Amino acid sequence: MKTLAFVAIVLISGASAGLIHGAVNMLLVEPYLDSATEIENQSLFASGLAQDTAEFRAEYEGYRSWQKSGMILGTVVLGISIGSLFGIIFALSRNSLPGQSDVKKSFALAGIMWFALFVVPFLKYPANPPTIGEADTLALRTALYVSFVVISGLGAVCFYKLSKILPSGKKILALAGYAMLISVAFAVMPENPDKITVHADLITGFRIMSMLGITSFWVSVGVFLGLFWSRLDPYKGTPRTYN
Amino acid sequence: MVLDFMSESRQISAHKTGISKLALVALAAVFVAGLFVVAFDQGHVLSLVYGEQAFADQFFHELTHDVRHAAGFPCH
Repeated sequence: MKTLAFVAIVLISGASAGLIHGAVNMLLVEPYLDSATEIENQSLFASGLAQDTAEFRAEYEGYRSWQKSGMILGTVVLGISIGSLFGIIFALSRNSLPGQSDVKKSFALAGIMWFALFVVPFLKYPANPPTIGEADTLALRTALYVSFVVISGLGAVCFYKLSKILPSGKKILALAGYAMLISVAFAVMPENPDKITVHADLITGFRIMSMLGITSFWVSVGVFLGLFWSRLDPYKGTPRTYN
Repeated sequence: MVLDFMSESRQISAHKTGISKLALVALAAVFVAGLFVVAFDQGHVLSLVYGEQAFADQFFHELTHDVRHAAGFPCH
């Protein structure tokens, strides 16, 4: 029962936060995606590969509607996925997280993971809208992005562990170590090979909205899991030794 | 006798960790599978059923196209 309750609140928290992420994306990000895909359409028309006909528009609108439904489905699945990682780390690190309540602890962990797994990688490899990103470079870009997320994530875990064994006056050394690791990774790892070919306003607006969407997920999952845990603590009264 | 032993083992395991390892493994599997399908699949999953055609169709790539861009995952 404890195990089922634990898995249930983790999955429900992730799915709920994913739904909020999807709703925010529909409101804030989709207009930019529409603008970017329209640029792709204009390129097709200019190259003669397609013609701007009513038939083309009907097919295009239908396809975009299908992809937008995938936005909601995808963010819910992504929320369950990332929420599962969040639940695992929360369960294992709860005793050592800052804060007096489960909500504060959960929110603190969400903030750390938001920063290490999203903000830091985003600064090196920011989100791009459609029209930017060659198919030929996809494997390289994926490898670079995943590597940076792993470096930042594992670095955060290692230096967080280090901070726990350092004396109180020297904990800042762990933060400095993480900053140094990320600085080296920034300097050593290659840039995104794809060139920016669209107007700066579109890129900047898209990236801001993308960041707001992701942030809405981390805020939501932190609050939801903390609230569920405080109400239904699946391991209440059970000694925990993970730190 | 065997049941007594299993019960004792469970108690020891729970006392040591408090968190079900089975639950952690299950959630880790959900994490990997969900992330792969939404963020990185280029036809790999459905190729188990549809073969090479899945790499041409890229169903999950197209379905999750907007999420990939919005969440910062590499896409094209």
